[in-house]
Amino acid sequence: MKIYFSRKNLCIPYALFLVLFVIAPVLVVLYYAFTNGEGQFTLENLVGFFTSANTIGTLIYSMAVAFVVTVLCLVIAYPVAYILSKSRIKRRNGLLILFIIPMWINFTLRVTALKEVLSAIEGNLAYYPFINTVIGQTYDFLPFMILPIYTTLIKLDKDLEEAASDLGANDFRTFLKVTLPLSMPGVISGIMMVFLPAMTNYVILDILYNSTYIMGSLIGSYFSAYNWHTGSMISIVLFAIVFAATLITNKYTDIDNAADRGAML
Amino acid sequence: MDNIIELRGIKKCFEGNEPVVEDINLTVKRGEFVTLLGPSGCGKTTTLRMIAGFETPTEGEILLGGEDISKKPPYLRSINTVFQRYALFPHLNVFDNIAFGLKLKKLNKKKIVEKVEKVLDVVDMEGFEKRKISTLSGGQQQRIAIARAIVNEPEILLLDEPLGALDLKMRKEMQLELKLMHESLGITFIYVTHDQEEALTMSDKVVVMANGHIQQIGTPEEIYNEPNNAFVADFIGESNIFNGVMAEPLKARFCDAVFECLDNYPKNTHVDVVVRPEDIVIVPEDEGQIKGEVISVIFKGIHYEITVQCGKNEIVIQRTKSAEVGSVVGMYIEPDGIHCMPCGTLVNCYEGIISKNNTVEFGDGVFECDVTMLYPGSQIDENGNLMTGGGEYIDLTGVRVKVEVPVDMPVMSDDENEGGACGNINSLIYKGDHYNYLIKTKSGFEYVLNDEYLWNENDYVSIVIPKEAIRLSFLESEE
Repeated sequence: MKIYFSRKNLCIPYALFLVLFVIAPVLVVLYYAFTNGEGQFTLENLVGFFTSANTIGTLIYSMAVAFVVTVLCLVIAYPVAYILSKSRIKRRNGLLILFIIPMWINFTLRVTALKEVLSAIEGNLAYYPFINTVIGQTYDFLPFMILPIYTTLIKLDKDLEEAASDLGANDFRTFLKVTLPLSMPGVISGIMMVFLPAMTNYVILDILYNSTYIMGSLIGSYFSAYNWHTGSMISIVLFAIVFAATLITNKYTDIDNAADRGAML
Repeated sequence: MDNIIELRGIKKCFEGNEPVVEDINLTVKRGEFVTLLGPSGCGKTTTLRMIAGFETPTEGEILLGGEDISKKPPYLRSINTVFQRYALFPHLNVFDNIAFGLKLKKLNKKKIVEKVEKVLDVVDMEGFEKRKISTLSGGQQQRIAIARAIVNEPEILLLDEPLGALDLKMRKEMQLELKLMHESLGITFIYVTHDQEEALTMSDKVVVMANGHIQQIGTPEEIYNEPNNAFVADFIGESNIFNGVMAEPLKARFCDAVFECLDNYPKNTHVDVVVRPEDIVIVPEDEGQIKGEVISVIFKGIHYEITVQCGKNEIVIQRTKSAEVGSVVGMYIEPDGIHCMPCGTLVNCYEGIISKNNTVEFGDGVFECDVTMLYPGSQIDENGNLMTGGGEYIDLTGVRVKVEVPVDMPVMSDDENEGGACGNINSLIYKGDHYNYLIKTKSGFEYVLNDEYLWNENDYVSIVIPKEAIRLSFLESEE
């Protein structure tokens, strides 16, 4: 008997993977979010989220942290990515490696090292928990902002900048009117890659002795108290926020080029 | 007409490499349509980019209306460019693309709208203001790119192979339109192309470039009818190129016959003889100056292309009547159909250093040579040492010498280790019974050689020079 092997069959492992590790967990989370302890459908968890001062407070604090971290990352990463993309090819790779090498070291290790540095400077980390968190997260997430911006800048057609200059724009105007708008897809994906982790990654806060909860630690605390339902609902709300943010940003970044979409990854 | 732009002694090297262009001197008059024509890699685009301001010349100056602008950034020059791949801004619509330069000049809105509409009318794209660039076809993008440049009313419009990406029919149309636009706008056009037909059709003045040097500047007719050298003749139109010698002034000898011509060079001057295929008349066998056998006839639409074997030379003839393959025909050429020009390199000259084992290093390679020719009467003893006639031993290692290699002697090989030096074929010209090759090594040394076999441009070859072909002599300063 001849076995027909269609190329389509190649997608089976991926489909299986998706179902097992993406769709199924989401469904489980959804199920828990909308049921109570007895397994009945309820919206209580949803209402609870928006009425609990504790949850809302944590949401605001997390957003504040994430916002400051994202802005800081952006402010540092854009010039770095810009300089990298403009430097000569030989030097460029060396510089890029400098920014990537830290990613090869386990991040808890890096943050622990940072903690020692910060405590040496500040004496007691408890004085500035917010600032320490921001420093820790910025330090950790910076490469995720640099890389997507760098990728879009490097792919930018050099002719366009020359055309702008040819039409009378000085270097600053060329940057403002051509380079910056055309690098927005990279900026947006950088923001996406930093903002969400900054709202949820509580390990950094733990290591830096910041006892304030952010969304991640809140979910974790409910889960470790076996309250799957509230924890799941918080996850779902976070998911919804991120989803909405993605939709909005995609709509406002005018991406004509399908190739540019690659930068969204 | 006064001069609008003048290039003086322009040279450009990228990061210490070999110069890309050298010794470029060019004057463009106001309102002229000038075309820089040459094969890819000849430096025409680099020259254009220096005029635009994207590159700074390593040496020389660019005068725009008498003022040196070679160090000025592009945004301070009243020159605009139409880019090869258009370089329209993908994030702006058609209107904003065209208005880009006007907005920077801080013109008021009404004026901008007025100018954009007018220029859209010129390029025949009315009503496209709100369209996105990505929704336009290649030809439409081309027109917008031209509109974006001319709306700024530059003194000079630079066009870098602007029609290269269009299909043939579209290209013909745009050629005509550009020509008309040039006439009606009165702007000076500097146009870059590798398409000789395009250059001849459109320009007032053609600048033929090769290997970073200007080969000839002239009107299309001059370039076609009176090429300066074999390269120009070969590049522009079809041509038969022969090696010839002046039998006496106004008489050239080639293809084993003497022809009357209009070129006055002293007797025995080596010349390249160019004869256009349409200038050769086929006559009955005995009535021609030369005769040969027809070896192929190809129908080309307007004419037949007839190849005749005449001795060792192949001669290509174009005429409207066919001929019979295998028949013997006579050929006649009017004196004004023969164009002689002093021949290119006959002998390659280098400065070399004698290295051990009786070899000489030059032109990026090491070659075996006969060092005894430096000292008449000397010989090499059994240990490989040089002994003069007087019995003295001489160590020549490290001595600088002049090396001469006639173009007929070296051969090429595709075995990298066979020859002394390796390089890429930079150009080749067919000369009736052989090809004339220019080979460039990695660090820019040039070898000119003749070979009867056809190699391809850019082939990587090794150059084999027989020992006896290397003529050595002492450099004058050494003596």
